Amino acid sequence: MLSIRRSVGAFVAVAVGVTLVAVATLLLASGRPQVPDRLADAAVVVQSPEAGAAADSFAPTRPWSAARTAELTSGLAGVPGVTAAVPDRTFYAQALVHGRPSAIDAQREDAHQGHGWSSTRLGGLRLTAGAPPRQAGEVVVDRALGLRPGGPVTLLTAAGPQPYTVTGLVDAPGVYVADDVAAVLAPGVRVIGLLIAPGADPEKVAAGVRGVVGGDGRALTGDGRSASEPRNDARTRWIGMQVLTATAALAGFVTVFVVASTFAFDVGQRRRELGLLRAVGATPRQVRRMVRAEALVVGATAGLTGLLVGAALAPVLGALLVDVGFEPATFRVRYEPWPVALSIVAGPVIALLAVWSASRRAARVRPLEALREAAVEQRPIGRLRVATGVLLVAAGLALSVGTATADQARDAATFALYAVMALVAGATVLAPAAVRPVVRLLRSPVRRPGGAIGMLVRAGASTATRRTASIAAPVLLTVAFAVLVSGMVRTTTAAYAAGRADDVNAGWVVVPDRAPGLSDRAVAGVGGTALLPTTVFESDPDSSPTDRPLTALGVDPVGFAAMNRALTVVAGSLDDLGGGDTVVLPASANRQPSEPYALVFADGEVVSLRVVAVVTDDSIPGDLLLPRSVVRTHDPSALTSAVYVRDRVDPPVGARVVDVSAWAAEADRAEDRLVWLFTLLLIGVSAGYGAVAVANTLLMAAAGRVADLRLIRLAGATRGQVIWLVTAESALVVLIGALLGGAVAFVGLLSIRAGLAEQAGVPVDLVVPWSVVGGVVGLCLLLAVLASALPTWRSLRHRPARSPA
Amino acid sequence: MTTQTVTLQGLCAVYGAGARRVTALDGVTTSFAGGTFTAVMGPSGSGKSTLLHCAAGLDKPTAGTVTIDGRRLDDLGEDELTRLRRDRIGFVFQAFNLVSSLTAAENVELPLRLARHRPPARDVLAALDTVGLTDRAGHRPSELSGGEQQRVAVARALITRPAVVFADEPTGALDSTASQQILRLLRALVDDHRQTVVMVTHDPAAAAYADRVLLLADGRIVDELTGGITATVVAARIAERETAPAGSAVESSC
Ligand SMILES: Nc1ncnc2c1ncn2[C@@H]1O[C@H](COP(=O)(O)OP(=O)(O)OP(=O)(O)O)[C@@H](O)[C@H]1O
Ligand SMILES: [Mg+2]
Repeated sequence: MLSIRRSVGAFVAVAVGVTLVAVATLLLASGRPQVPDRLADAAVVVQSPEAGAAADSFAPTRPWSAARTAELTSGLAGVPGVTAAVPDRTFYAQALVHGRPSAIDAQREDAHQGHGWSSTRLGGLRLTAGAPPRQAGEVVVDRALGLRPGGPVTLLTAAGPQPYTVTGLVDAPGVYVADDVAAVLAPGVRVIGLLIAPGADPEKVAAGVRGVVGGDGRALTGDGRSASEPRNDARTRWIGMQVLTATAALAGFVTVFVVASTFAFDVGQRRRELGLLRAVGATPRQVRRMVRAEALVVGATAGLTGLLVGAALAPVLGALLVDVGFEPATFRVRYEPWPVALSIVAGPVIALLAVWSASRRAARVRPLEALREAAVEQRPIGRLRVATGVLLVAAGLALSVGTATADQARDAATFALYAVMALVAGATVLAPAAVRPVVRLLRSPVRRPGGAIGMLVRAGASTATRRTASIAAPVLLTVAFAVLVSGMVRTTTAAYAAGRADDVNAGWVVVPDRAPGLSDRAVAGVGGTALLPTTVFESDPDSSPTDRPLTALGVDPVGFAAMNRALTVVAGSLDDLGGGDTVVLPASANRQPSEPYALVFADGEVVSLRVVAVVTDDSIPGDLLLPRSVVRTHDPSALTSAVYVRDRVDPPVGARVVDVSAWAAEADRAEDRLVWLFTLLLIGVSAGYGAVAVANTLLMAAAGRVADLRLIRLAGATRGQVIWLVTAESALVVLIGALLGGAVAFVGLLSIRAGLAEQAGVPVDLVVPWSVVGGVVGLCLLLAVLASALPTWRSLRHRPARSPA
Repeated sequence: MTTQTVTLQGLCAVYGAGARRVTALDGVTTSFAGGTFTAVMGPSGSGKSTLLHCAAGLDKPTAGTVTIDGRRLDDLGEDELTRLRRDRIGFVFQAFNLVSSLTAAENVELPLRLARHRPPARDVLAALDTVGLTDRAGHRPSELSGGEQQRVAVARALITRPAVVFADEPTGALDSTASQQILRLLRALVDDHRQTVVMVTHDPAAAAYADRVLLLADGRIVDELTGGITATVVAARIAERETAPAGSAVESSC
């Protein structure tokens, strides 16, 4: 009973869906942490203790102090099988090319890292030219920078630009200095790499290592060494994982949705045939099974097709993900078995889920329907359907509010996706009920030019509400999704920026340019109020989790108080922040002024501090305040994130000056850019789908309407009139879908705005990117008109009586 | 005494309610004996199709009972009813008889395959041969003429050897040659295989093939002819009824 023409639509929809699922899961499975090249030859990597924080905070490990490092290194060197124990020191350093940081690899964390020369032993790195650095002022650089041994180079470090001499070149990112220079720049060590004797078993060595380090670190071997990958890479990978999971989930959902409407439509068109089957002896079960079996065949073949296409596309898309920053540069596509298995199963499962309700409806077709015209549907919408729809919409609204009030931007995005799904599913379920009122609403514009055509268009759309609704469904989905997601992202971004700008009392902000932060020299040259962030660790052994990472801000208290409008002191005085042992804590830390408070700094030293003031939690853009000099003393590589100034100044090397509102808008620019790209990706997926689905159902509808149109022609309509009729019909359906989708999205956006306004405490503007919305509606309209006008035009080439029945 | 294959007892069919209430069948009681050919006639809207649908278990009467082969249809569940239809009842409709995606041969074997046994190819061909369409076995309905489609439907009604074949205006759209072919086929079912045929028609010439003619008006059986049925006699009876004064306001039995 399977007809090729009829199943093409479902086939394409399932195939596209499985392609997306396959690509997304293949890439997802490929995104595994990599052993850094720099540590490739170290069979055992000893890492300092993990920070006591959630895995997705990407906090660095708690470093060992210089003394502890020396102690560990000599202890480790004595473990049987170990030929050398080399501390891997990492600090901030960036070579300036033509007086500016190089644009190459600006995104790669390891491009602005410096290491001691001995680290090269751990990666088996060889000089391609020149000699190793032996003393202060000598450096080996990446040969990609195009510098020559013997020539001068300026290195940008946390202190400022420093003159160096290039002694050699290597084929790797980053810069390498003499070990004692590195020891000064990076007193705290997080990794000690072990080279082992040929034939020694890394696991045995690791066991020996555990005896030496005890609880003060971890011994990693084999693939486990990938835990020492750069934190930024881990973070990027994590973002990629979110993107891919969301894409796969969305693709699965949209596919079920689109395929379901295709099947529903198909069953609607085949009522007469199904009735005939029932009349000649098919039981309801047989009809149901037949419809499901068809879906299964379509799903299985389309699934395989999708898998093959997906497997072919994965490397291309993988490269793209690296380019836009959703995956680290070390990302490679690997064909793991589980995504393949998942994709093989996905096709039939999607098809079966999608055909579920259609097959039940098919089984309810009565035999008599073979004998009667049944174009006028009796009951457009059942009570159960209304209840389902209302429940889904309610869940969607609740999730929207959850989106707006979530603390974490990431949680918000997840909430948002499910909110959209629930709202859209609810709207689609309820759509048949809305078709008639909307058609009535749209009556006047169609009536005037149409005359008889207008009458036919209106009557067709409102009698066959289910048919209209199932054609409008993909448009509804696409438009609702595009409006809601893009509007939500833009509104949220704008709201955060507004809140941020509101907190800052300054005219201009100096921010880093092509560098991770500003050096001390740059800050000194600018004046103003600077923030010097560093990661510290709670050192209280009784607290749980131990080694909790905190973001400390090194500030000058007077300038900070003047600049920060959100600052509210609860106890003590900010002015007392100044001695080498003072700290300001937020209220949630539960300490009183003059209580002691110990922290581990980036150099691995434990420092006992004294609380001088307590402020409200939302007073500071970090976890605690320290005097700037304290941060500098314990973290030679700390970089200033921003300097707030009253008047415009000339930017120093590696910096730009922007006004406060621009700074607020771009403060999260990298993250916002990723989020926006992600949004466009998701909208693209759903819009592409919507387009496929619209074209699909309209093509099917066109085939089913040939007889009708022939009658209309026989009744005296010209070809032009018939084409105009079908064009107007599909435009009307797209319009209905767009209106319903827009309405759903608007409701969602309003609830999001309400939540944001409450959270930010400032009025929030609703930002809707109309270009995206217009593009999506236009795409649907274009495809709808093409998909209905073209087949009609083809069938009209014949004389009316000869058109195929 | 012949056995009654189909018995209808006080059959009522009412559509709609209130002002839109239509009584399509108004207390019809009759029966169709095994091995007989009955023609059902009457003006348009008199309830002929409804009668056929109710008798065949395609539609549920508002009141009254239908018995086929001694089994009351209202005792049967949907699946049992379907099975009964598949095994004991054949249909020939006026139009839309065939599944458009299946070939003529596949359409013929459809009821048997739904009952999960695949008939030997020669049985299918034999059935198509009876209706003179052996050479069209592989054609789809869209490639067949209206009369040919009708004959495929007859072949499908033949293959399960049903106890009773219901035909709703099977010759309504055909010329006299094609009509005669169909009618002879239906007649042969009765004569050669002792099957029962109930046929709705507007054509007195078609009714002449039957053993008995029932005349329906306003959902009631108003006249019945048995023996000596010719086109002229039937036409005369119909004309007689049309000129006769309407049996003014009979009490509805539904
Ligand atoms: N589904 C329905 N809903 C409402 N009324 C119906 C329905 N089906 C039939 N009727 C009405 O029942 C009456 C009998 O219809 P039926 O189809 O049995 O007539 P018929 O004798 O077969 O007529 P024709 O010769 O024109 O085919 C008609 O008045 C018709 O309008
Ligand atoms: Mg009829």
